[in-house]
Amino acid sequence: MNYGAADTVVAWIVSLFSGFLLPILLIGTIRKVKARLQNRVGPPIFQALFDLVKLFRKKQTVSSTVSWIFKWNGAINLSVMLLLALSVPWLCYKPVSLGADLFFVLYLLALSRFSTVLAAMDAGSAFGAFGASREVTISTLVEPALVLALASIGILTQSSDLDAIFSFSNAALSNTSGIWLLVGTAVILAGLVELSRMPVDDPTTHLELTMVHEAMILECSGPNLAMLECSQLLRMAILFGLSAQCFLHSIPCVWTMTIVSQGIIHVILMFVIASCVATFESVAVKLQWRKVPEFIAYCLTMSLIAGLIAVGGSLVK
Amino acid sequence: MILNLFEMVVFGASFTAILIAGATHLRVNLALYSVQTLFIGFATAMTAHAHADDMGIYGIACAITILKGLIVPVCLVMAIDKIRIQSDAASIIPAPLAMHLTIVFLGLSYLLVRGLPVPLEFSRGWPGATAAISLVFSGLVLMLTRRIAISQIVGFLIIENGIYLFALTQTHGMPMIVEMGVLLDVLVGVMISGLLVFKIQHSFEHIDVTRLTQLKD
Repeated sequence: MNYGAADTVVAWIVSLFSGFLLPILLIGTIRKVKARLQNRVGPPIFQALFDLVKLFRKKQTVSSTVSWIFKWNGAINLSVMLLLALSVPWLCYKPVSLGADLFFVLYLLALSRFSTVLAAMDAGSAFGAFGASREVTISTLVEPALVLALASIGILTQSSDLDAIFSFSNAALSNTSGIWLLVGTAVILAGLVELSRMPVDDPTTHLELTMVHEAMILECSGPNLAMLECSQLLRMAILFGLSAQCFLHSIPCVWTMTIVSQGIIHVILMFVIASCVATFESVAVKLQWRKVPEFIAYCLTMSLIAGLIAVGGSLVK
Repeated sequence: MILNLFEMVVFGASFTAILIAGATHLRVNLALYSVQTLFIGFATAMTAHAHADDMGIYGIACAITILKGLIVPVCLVMAIDKIRIQSDAASIIPAPLAMHLTIVFLGLSYLLVRGLPVPLEFSRGWPGATAAISLVFSGLVLMLTRRIAISQIVGFLIIENGIYLFALTQTHGMPMIVEMGVLLDVLVGVMISGLLVFKIQHSFEHIDVTRLTQLKD
């Protein structure tokens, strides 16, 4: 992807706009669809933005026993997510190429989670500790699935660089819808777990027995909480964007289109995914804690099959 | 090489078999079996197209889709309704583990097929045989690990699908009369086993096959 100077400026403007707007619009879509399915009017679509502004203007309450880990948690999370948003090809266009190795990306995700877990333990409340314990358990289970899914297309493209994987340059991959569909499904299932969404954790509940992510950020307030919410929204946009990229690659006729139409189809796909997630959350119930590994097993199944196909395909070649 | 249309169809069939091994809800199992049979019927139609639009094979594709994809699952759903059992909770190993076991068998069948002499056109023989053998393995896993008799019937049907797919992709197509005989056998077998399940439930008040060791009259 070599742009001219004018193209680079356009790419910067477009990606800044979409990096700012898409996460808020995605969460707005999810909340709106869920509300309509429950016969409610629902919040306005920019409600997440209003909430963030309100939180940023509030005063922060900090316990006297916490250390710097807790106070810097929001900033660490937000900066990691901004770095990810710049380096991961979660949109079709990208202003800079920072080199997004897939292991680098996955462990940046893990780093932000690590910092949240430490902050939750640092606050010293019992809820924070058990939320952290659950979060770590879940992420240990889901990490292999995500690594394997992305690595299996990495095997096909002979590269672990996400830019190379998701560029439309390797025409030999244009006719391999099956593996792209499998990987896209694996990423979206893993994303539901990573984002603490419905079948694993209910993002709207504050019932102490069931919450996972909410328990960890219970002690945060004001700008700290706002930055955490921001990074959670960005994380959602990045993961939905990655799986939408996979689904986009599974449509053979997209490969020959221009980058503008690819980008438009990709954004539409992201909103389709968001609506599907909202519908799924409206009809599904939260799983029992014991059943969560079974849900993750389905995700792992998709990645395992994709990995088998990739290894088998490259052996024959 | 990776997943053109025919390969997607046959591997779609073995993928549904893997999902069946992972799902414990009986109705979901039967719906997935129906989807699998649709895949098999579609593969048959594609083979017919490759054999210069052979009308006999097209007929077999239609018969498979209607008999095995529609009538057999409906019969089994009626049996489920009668015995009022919804899910196969008591499998011997947990369902996700069984699912991962079937994935291992998919890889194993890939390795097995690489040792086979491939008779027909290179492009269809290998993926077809891989999917077929993995279907047989998945059916075996299902029959060995499940306790409820309905699941075992589903396992038997998956094995039958696998054997059929193997024959379809390795030969020039069997005579229509043989295929029809096999289909009729399967249909009658499913009906009889559905009745048997009902009888077992009626006389023992459960359909757990592991507890059927002490038979009295």
